[in-house]
Amino acid sequence: MRILSTDQLTKQYGAGPNTVKALDGVSLSVEAGEFVAIVGASGSGKSTLLHMIGGLDRPTSGSVRVDNYELGKLKDDDLTVFRRQRIGFIFQNYNLIPILNVYENIILPIQLDGKRPDERFIRKITSLLGLEKKLDQMPNTLSGGQQQRVAIARALACKPAIVLADEPTGNLDTRTGDEVIELLRGTSRAFRQTVVMITHNPEIAARADRMIRIEDGRIQPPCNGTV
Amino acid sequence: MKKEKTTAILRTLTKRSFQRNRGRNLVAALAILLTTMMFTTLFTLAQSMTQNMEEMYLRQAGTRAHATSKQITDSQIRQIASHPDIVRSGRSIVVALAENGELAGRQVEIRYASDQYARDVFAYPVAGRMPERSDEIALDTLTLKRLGIPLIQGQPVTLEWRRDLTSSESVSSTFTLCGWWEGNLSSYASMAWVSEEFALEACDHVSAPADGQICGLRMMGITFADAGNIDAKTASVLSDCGLTDTEFTANLTYTAETRRSMFMENLPLYGGMVLVFLAGFLIIFNVFQISVASDILFYGKLKTLGATRRQISRVLYGQSARLSLTGIPAGLLTGYLFGILLVPVLITTADGNASVPANPVIFIGSALFAWITVAVSCALPARLAGKVSPIEALRYTDAATDSGRAGSRKRRIAKKRGAALSAMAWANLWRNRRRTALVLCSLTLGLVLMCFFYAKNASFDMEKYLTDLTVADYEIDDATNDLASGYDPESRTISEALLSDIGALGSLRETGRLYSGQAALTVSEQARANLQTFYTEDRLADFASYDPTFPAWKESFDAALAGKSVVCTVYGADGLILDAAADDRYLLSGSYDAEQFATGRYCLAIGPSVEPGSDLPTYSVGEKIRIADMEFEVMAVLAPLQPMVGGSQPAFDLPLVLPSDAFLQLWPDSNLRKFYFNTAEEGLEEAADLLTAYQQNGATGMNITSRRTMARQYEAQTRSAAVMGYAVSMIIALVGILNFINSMATALIARKREFAMLRSIGMTKRQLRRMLILEGLFYAGLTLFASLLLGSLAVGILVRGMVAGGYTTFHFTLLPLLLCAPVLTVFAILLPCLCFRNLEKQTIVERLRSTD
Repeated sequence: MRILSTDQLTKQYGAGPNTVKALDGVSLSVEAGEFVAIVGASGSGKSTLLHMIGGLDRPTSGSVRVDNYELGKLKDDDLTVFRRQRIGFIFQNYNLIPILNVYENIILPIQLDGKRPDERFIRKITSLLGLEKKLDQMPNTLSGGQQQRVAIARALACKPAIVLADEPTGNLDTRTGDEVIELLRGTSRAFRQTVVMITHNPEIAARADRMIRIEDGRIQPPCNGTV
Repeated sequence: MKKEKTTAILRTLTKRSFQRNRGRNLVAALAILLTTMMFTTLFTLAQSMTQNMEEMYLRQAGTRAHATSKQITDSQIRQIASHPDIVRSGRSIVVALAENGELAGRQVEIRYASDQYARDVFAYPVAGRMPERSDEIALDTLTLKRLGIPLIQGQPVTLEWRRDLTSSESVSSTFTLCGWWEGNLSSYASMAWVSEEFALEACDHVSAPADGQICGLRMMGITFADAGNIDAKTASVLSDCGLTDTEFTANLTYTAETRRSMFMENLPLYGGMVLVFLAGFLIIFNVFQISVASDILFYGKLKTLGATRRQISRVLYGQSARLSLTGIPAGLLTGYLFGILLVPVLITTADGNASVPANPVIFIGSALFAWITVAVSCALPARLAGKVSPIEALRYTDAATDSGRAGSRKRRIAKKRGAALSAMAWANLWRNRRRTALVLCSLTLGLVLMCFFYAKNASFDMEKYLTDLTVADYEIDDATNDLASGYDPESRTISEALLSDIGALGSLRETGRLYSGQAALTVSEQARANLQTFYTEDRLADFASYDPTFPAWKESFDAALAGKSVVCTVYGADGLILDAAADDRYLLSGSYDAEQFATGRYCLAIGPSVEPGSDLPTYSVGEKIRIADMEFEVMAVLAPLQPMVGGSQPAFDLPLVLPSDAFLQLWPDSNLRKFYFNTAEEGLEEAADLLTAYQQNGATGMNITSRRTMARQYEAQTRSAAVMGYAVSMIIALVGILNFINSMATALIARKREFAMLRSIGMTKRQLRRMLILEGLFYAGLTLFASLLLGSLAVGILVRGMVAGGYTTFHFTLLPLLLCAPVLTVFAILLPCLCFRNLEKQTIVERLRSTD
C-alpha cells in the first residue's frame, strides 16, 4: 500500500535573480512499513523535502499525498491537526518541551489531539526504548541519546502514518547513534511503522530498506551497491 | 471528553511555563496591579466626585425628594402618599418666619415636618429627636448659635413670629429644645421644627393659608423607586389620583442637564482612564510581546507537535488570567486605599469633608477595565504565538522577521565605520523595531504629558485671576449687598467706627470707596439705538434660553425701548476701586482720564463683558446724561469689574459710575456699599483680626473678601486637577521606565549566547559593557529627543492655544523634561551594568552550550 507520494514537488526561495530552487521536481513514493533513508550533502534540499512531507512548509508547486490526504488542500489549522494525528517527528536536536517530563512529552501530541493515550502501547514502546525508569524525569536530566529515545517514543506514541526523522543521530556520538538507528529500525519492524529518515551519513543510510539520494534538489538514480 | 483532555494538558503547559517565567510574571503582575490601581483610584475619585456633587446639588435644591409641591391640601397629600409608585413621602406645615433680631439676615422657618420630610430637607436631628409635644422645638446649630443657646436638651427657646404677615403684630412663643442638627449655610434657610399640634393650633386649623399669608401652607415631598423621568412619573401619579390642579416641581438635581454637567466635571477623570488604559496597554503588551518572543521556540515546538493556533493562544491567555488573578485584586485594594487618601485632598466640598463611597461599581468597573486592558494587551502577542510557523520558530533569533532593511543598514554602517562599538549598539537597537518603538513611545508619552500638565499649570496667572475677583487685599461688603430684595443704600454695616479703626491701622496703604444708588432714568435715543442693534433676535433667543431672569429683564428692556424710565444702578467710586474699574483692560470704548473724571462733569457707563467695539448696548461715549439736576458726559464704556458690580442689581441695568463726591451730592444720605483697602504685608493679620472681630460683633451679614483667602480657595479648587495631571503623567513615566527596564533586561538575557559568542571571539568585558551602556544611552537619547520635539509642540501649540484668554500668561517651559533627563540617563547606564554583572556569573562555555 502506498502511504506517501510526491509529484513534481518544487520549492523556491526568494525571487528574481536571487531565486534558489531548494527542490526541483521531486517525485517519489513510499510503501507502508518501509524504512526509507534520504541522503544528500548539506544544502541538497533534503530537509526541505522532509518539511514538505511533514506539512511544516508548503511547496511552491507540485503535490504531497500522505495517507490519502492531499496536503496542499489543507488549511493551516487542519494541517496542524493532520500533523499531530499522522506524522511523528524526530529532530536532530530532539525538540523536547523542557517544562514537561518524559512521560508528558511522549503523550503531548495525543493530548493536544484531545485523545486518551493507549497506555499498553506506550508501555510497550517505552520498554522497547529502555525508558521505563525515566518517565518522571525532566528532559534536561537526560543524556543526548536518552533524549532522542524520548523523541522516538513521542513520534511513535500516536501511531502515525509516517515517522519523519531529521538527522536523528546528528547530535550523538557514533555508538549512541548506532543504538538509536537500531531502535528506530527495530520499532519500525515491530510496529510495521513507515519511517522516512534524513541523513548525510551514507553508512547510516545503508541500514535502511531503501535509500533515496538527493542532490541540488533533484533525486539521483540509485548508485550501485545499494539495496 | 475530548475537550477535557485537551484542557488538562493546556493547563499543565500554562502552569509550568508560568512557573518558569518568574521575572516576567513579577513585572507583568506589577503592571497589572498598577493599571488596576490607577483605574480604581480614578473610579473612586469619579464616584466620590459625583456623589459629593450630587449632595451639593441636593443641598442647593434643598431636598432629597424627587419632586415637591409647595401648595397642596392634606387630603391630596394622603391620596398621593398612598399611590403605589410613591416609595416615600414627607409632609410639612408652614407656620411663620422667625423674626428675632438675632436672626436678621438668615431665614428661619417655623414649621411642622414629618420625619421623612425633615430627613429629605437635611434637617433631621442628629442629637435628640423631632418635637412631639406642642412646646417642643428642634433647630439647627446655626440658629442656636445665633440665638446664643447652648446645645443642651431642655433649653428654653423663644421665637418671635407674625401670624398675619400684613400686620406688624408679633407673637412670642417659648419652646424647649428637643433636638438639633448641623446647620448648613449653603441651604437657603434654616428650619425650626415644631410639633404638628402646635402648627395646627398656630394657624387656627385652616386647611390652606389665606391670600398673602403662609400660615397653614402644606408642602409635600415625594420619592419614587428611582430618579429617572420624574416629571412623567409625577404626572402619572397625579392623573391616577385625579388631581389636575396640583403642581409638583421635579428636583433639579435629577434632571438630564444636571447629570450632564456632573459628567462634564468628571471628564478629566475619564480622560485619565484613557491614559491609564494606554499606559497599561503599553507595558502589559510589551511584557507579553517579549515573553512570546523569547518563548517562540517553545511555541514553535508545540506547533510542530500538533498544537493548533487556538491551543497556543489559550496557553498565553491562561497565563495572563493567572497574572490578573493576583494583580487585579491587589490593584483594587491599593487603588481604593489610594482613593481614600486622595479624596479629601482633591475634592473640596462646602462642609469640608468629602465622602468616599464604597460602591461596588468602583470595584466591578475597575476590575473590568483592568481585565479589558490585559486582554487587549495579550491579544496581539497571543496571535503572534499562535501564528508562529514551525519552521520559522525553529530558526528564530531575537530579531524582527522583516529584517531586510535593518540588515542592509547594519551592513552599511559596518562597512563605513568598521565594527565600532557605537555602530553595533545602534544597530542592536533596531533588531527588534517594534519593541524599541514601544519603549520609546511609553517613555515619551509620560514625559510629554508631564510637560503638558506642568506648562498648563504654570501658565495660570494668579494675579490676573485675583484682580478679576478682588482688587484689594480686603474688600468688605454691606450686609444688604447681596439681598434678593436689593441693596439698601442706607444700611450702615460699614460704620464710621469701623472705617476709623481701619484708618488707624499703621500698615494701611491704598483705599477705595464704593457707593451705589438707583435712579429712574429715561434712556437716551442713542442708547436705545445701541440696545436695538446689540440685542438681535438671535441674541435675545439665546439669552432667553439660559437666563431665568430673562422675563424680568425683557420687561424693563421693552420699557426702556419704549422711552419709559427704567431704574438703573449708579455707582459712586473713588480710590483703588475706580482705578481698577477704569483700567485699560476693562475699557470697551472711549478713554479714561482720571483728572477730568475727578471734576465731576463726567461719568462712565458699564456695558456687558464683551470684546471692545462700537455696538455696545449702553450709552455712547460723549452723550450727556441728566441725573436729578446734574448733568454728566459719558467719558468711556467699561466692561464690568466683578469686585465693583458684584451684588444684587436690577435684572435690566445700564449702570453708570460717578466720582464718589458727585454721587454724595446727589444722594447725601447714602452709606458705603463696599470698602476696599490694601495693607502692608505685616499688617494683613491685624486687619483680618479687626474685620472678623467686627463681623462677629453685630455685623454678621458683612461679607469679607480677602485676596489671601481667594488665593487659597483657588488653590484648593484647582489642586485636584493639578495633582491628578501630575499623578497620571508620573505613573505613565513610571510605566515607561518599567517598560524600559523590562525590555532592556529581557533583551540582554535573550542575547546571553550572543554575548558569549562575542566574548569568545575576543570582545573584552569592558567593550561588551560599553556597547550595552551605549545601547542604553541611545534609548535615553532617542526618548529625550522625541520628548523634546513632541513636548515643544504640545507646549508651544496645544498649551498656548488652550490657555489663550482666561486667567493665564503663557510661558514656554519644558522644566519636567529637564528634570527627568538626568534620571533617565542614570537608568540607561545603570541598568545594562546591573544586568551585565548578573550575566557574567556564568562562564562563556556554559552560556555557549545552554540551549534553552
